[in-house]
Amino acid sequence: MIRLYHVSKSYGSAQVLHDVTFRLSKGEFAYLTGASGAGKSTLLKLLYGAEAPTSGKLLVGGVDASKLGPARLPLLRRNLGVIFQDFKLIPNRTVFDNVGLALEVIGAERREISRRVNAVLNVVGLGGKGERRPLDLSGGEQQRVAIARAIVNDPAVLLADEPTGNLDGAMAVEVMEILLSINLRGTTVLIATHDIGLMERFPHRRLRLNAGRMSE
Amino acid sequence: MSATLGHILRRAARSLWENLSLNAVAAGVIAAALLLGGAFWGAMSTLNDAVEVWERDVHLSAYFASGVDEARQRAVLAEVQAMPEVEAVTWVTATDARAYLEERVPDIQPILVELGEDAVPASLEITLRARYIGDETLSDFVTRLQRAEFEELDYGKEWVERLTAFLGLLKALGAALGTLLVMAAVFLVGNTMHLVTYARRAELETMKLVGATLQFIAAPFLIEGAVQGLIGALLAIGALSGLKAVLLGRIQELVPLGQAPLADGSLGLSTVLGLLTVGVLLGVVGCGSAVLRFWRQAP
Ligand SMILES: Nc1ncnc2c1ncn2[C@@H]1O[C@H](COP(=O)(O)OP(=O)(O)O)[C@@H](O)[C@H]1O
Ligand SMILES: [Mg+2]
Repeated sequence: MIRLYHVSKSYGSAQVLHDVTFRLSKGEFAYLTGASGAGKSTLLKLLYGAEAPTSGKLLVGGVDASKLGPARLPLLRRNLGVIFQDFKLIPNRTVFDNVGLALEVIGAERREISRRVNAVLNVVGLGGKGERRPLDLSGGEQQRVAIARAIVNDPAVLLADEPTGNLDGAMAVEVMEILLSINLRGTTVLIATHDIGLMERFPHRRLRLNAGRMSE
Repeated sequence: MSATLGHILRRAARSLWENLSLNAVAAGVIAAALLLGGAFWGAMSTLNDAVEVWERDVHLSAYFASGVDEARQRAVLAEVQAMPEVEAVTWVTATDARAYLEERVPDIQPILVELGEDAVPASLEITLRARYIGDETLSDFVTRLQRAEFEELDYGKEWVERLTAFLGLLKALGAALGTLLVMAAVFLVGNTMHLVTYARRAELETMKLVGATLQFIAAPFLIEGAVQGLIGALLAIGALSGLKAVLLGRIQELVPLGQAPLADGSLGLSTVLGLLTVGVLLGVVGCGSAVLRFWRQAP
């Protein structure tokens, strides 16, 4: 589902990823781990096409994200769910609208949007909070809004950047359980995290990044 | 498809409402550009009309040499009348001319007496048909009109020529000014809308990240631009009508332009449609450029 061949990425003269090669099969659940600054977020950005690799090749669901023109990049992103490190919630829109955005951009009917958004809000435990604004919610709730938006259109691949980064223990476990349940429905999941405790509690494949070099 | 259209229209309405002041600024910029351009254009076409009226009036005075008797003058009159270019000829005899002069300038009597019989020559006042008024036909006509009986041919050609040349210059200037205005307006609207995309960049960026196409993101802004253009154009049309009514009233008091059909405040359908079109285009292009700028730099 995800393949990288000798991928390198530099920002100017600073090389952030060095010759990274790995593959992730359909339905797999894996951690992308490494210290802060190791290049985890950068690798995810390559996968959802926000950055292009400096060299090497990268395939997501069979398409080369780096070679997609502006017309086809949106099509890739519709098959990806991304949980951003900073959530990227729109502060002056309701929780419902924030989650519905992912369906709105693909032209879903309003009734369909309403049905699916309400369903997914229940999945992440935010049923009844659809009319709130993100800033009125706790950090954990905001995180779950971000998850809801990422999974609302049943993506083939879910990418999560530090989804438990600013949550306390109990909340982190709750979020992990949501992500695992999504994986159980067949979605390929890649989670960037440096939370060792969590990885030990929910053991899965680990892809380690160390100053931009990958090892397992 | 209809769902997408619904989303786009809702977004356009929301953006117009939530960025009311910036949208007002953009509409104001468009109105100002159209007002300036329209006023210049109006002044130019008014002048153009006036010159056309004067040109249509081209009018020659052919003065008889002294010693050409009235019988001969009458014969020449008949010849001139037969020329195809001639619309009308009035024969002003020396007596008529003197009487006219004396009536107009009462103190001239002694001078005329001093100068003697031949002081005021008889003349033919010739009006040309409109279609013969082009530059070449005019000088051609003058050549053929020339004959021994005439002492002098006098026509306002130089004046008309100079005015036409001036008008040409003014038109070139207008084209340059128009181009500049359009560029300035697109630039200003683009920058105003850049503020809108900047204020909403979190939302737009997120939309792009979750798979919105450029068309989906841009469409509401293009609608927004069209609305700005429409409102800007309507403002400009109102202001120009007012300006036209007031100024033309004034001008006509000062310089009677004959039966000029210019005096009322209405701009004419083609001008109104032109202003609306240019206004909408300015808004759409300005907003479009702002969205494109956002799209290129967003992740
Ligand atoms: N847009 C950028 N321009 C320049 N350097 C960047 C940029 N984004 C990230 N970096 C650098 O790349 C390195 C890896 O960053 P990042 O991928 O965010 O690491 P992680 O997510 O593992 O903490 C860091 O040294 C960071 O400063
Ligand atoms: Mg990071």
